[in-house]
Amino acid sequence: MAKKWGQLVRNWMADKMDLPQDVMMDLPRITMIGQIHIYIENHRGLIAFSDKEVRLLLKQGQLLIKGKSFVIKTILPEEILLEGRIDQVIYINEESGGKK
Amino acid sequence: MKNEWMENFYGKVTVRVAGKGIERFLNLLVRNGVHVQNVKRHGTETATFTLRVREALRIRPFARQSECSVEFLRRSGAPFVINRMLKNSGFIIGGLMFVFIVFFLSNSIWGIEIKGAKPATEYQIRKELDKMGVKIGRTQFSIANVEGIQRQLTNRIEALTWVGVELKGTTFHLQVVEKKQPKKTEQLSPRNLVAKKKATIVHMFVEKGKQMVNVYDHVVPGQLLVSGLIGKEGATKRVAAQGEILGETWYKSYVEMPLNTSFKVFNGKEEQKHYLRIGSTDIPLWGFGKLKLRKYETEENQRDIYLLKWKLPFSYVNKTFREKEEITRQYTKDEAIKKASEIALRDIKTRIDEDAKIKEEKILHRVFENGKVKLSIHFQIIENIAKGQPIPKETSE
Repeated sequence: MAKKWGQLVRNWMADKMDLPQDVMMDLPRITMIGQIHIYIENHRGLIAFSDKEVRLLLKQGQLLIKGKSFVIKTILPEEILLEGRIDQVIYINEESGGKK
Repeated sequence: MKNEWMENFYGKVTVRVAGKGIERFLNLLVRNGVHVQNVKRHGTETATFTLRVREALRIRPFARQSECSVEFLRRSGAPFVINRMLKNSGFIIGGLMFVFIVFFLSNSIWGIEIKGAKPATEYQIRKELDKMGVKIGRTQFSIANVEGIQRQLTNRIEALTWVGVELKGTTFHLQVVEKKQPKKTEQLSPRNLVAKKKATIVHMFVEKGKQMVNVYDHVVPGQLLVSGLIGKEGATKRVAAQGEILGETWYKSYVEMPLNTSFKVFNGKEEQKHYLRIGSTDIPLWGFGKLKLRKYETEENQRDIYLLKWKLPFSYVNKTFREKEEITRQYTKDEAIKKASEIALRDIKTRIDEDAKIKEEKILHRVFENGKVKLSIHFQIIENIAKGQPIPKETSE
């Protein structure tokens, strides 16, 4: 309950005070350059990595990126730069989808 | 991306990982601050990535923890390139040495050719050149420039009228013109002796000819002193009159001497700067910073650099800055008069013959005006006033 309240307060603050949502609420910030680059901040770790699929852990849920010939250019504790041909970016929520 | 250069600088190692927990392994590395880059998947259980050299040894424990095996594949980046270069440094040193030796040899003196000189003079020239440091085998940097050599040679060797020094590649070519010292030719053609200038004769010594004037006579220029026609009237003979007629002549000299004079002199302080000149831009090699001199004059010395026979587009320039100082010289009136008469005497000596004697000097007029001393001095001088004048043929018979 307390956690929910905190969440609510933060949401309200971000809304009213014009602060960026990703900072306030620990959401991932994703920057894509066409199909060739994707830059994700605020992730929580690598779950799976192959040249066709990358799965990242987020604070809430997971992020699934599908495409071709992936190379992780750089990886830092909270940031990742991925190169290749990106076809899909999918959010997977634990509540609804569960694990695939 | 921007870090790639830094990675190259520190040196990179490519690693191959095999095992099931590759993702876990990567997470572990990243959380422990290892710079992982370029992760590529090869099949299901292998991946390759690069990391920094100094982090390479730290990854073993993480690999054990995540049940992976690591294998180092390739090393690249600056530290390894440098290592290789050090290993092969012999080649580089050899190459540099070669260029340096060719460069050094093409800036040495390999020959001195002297043309147009008698053997004796040539020997003398070679000796002088030796003294100046112009020898076979010396570098051209250590010797004076061509104009300097030319000037010194002409100054030091009496027998030379002119010497042209030319530097062609590595050989000095000297073109010599020797003085032809003329033999004294006895003047045998018949002549009279006439007066050169207005004078009073004080002494006469006639070797040949008929004396036409006497001591204490006053003569005017062109007046016949000794006649070359001798013998009785009607049977005259023409001879070359010879003799010494000393006459007293008068000169006037007018000198002005300021009491206060300011000069510009070098006070001995100097600074040197060295440049490499490429085209018209000078790149300082040595001697940085501002000059400490206030007023100065600049002397520039440019030296071209040759590689084999080609002149390189850059040259070495040495600039010398000499400090100037203004000095005011002050004379008292007596000193000024003394100096002025000295100048007058010097002036007179340039106007009269070497063997002339100064009998007397007299200050005629002395004025102090506008901080200047004005003197007019009268000199009495005893000199040879005789001058030859050929006797025309018509009058001889």
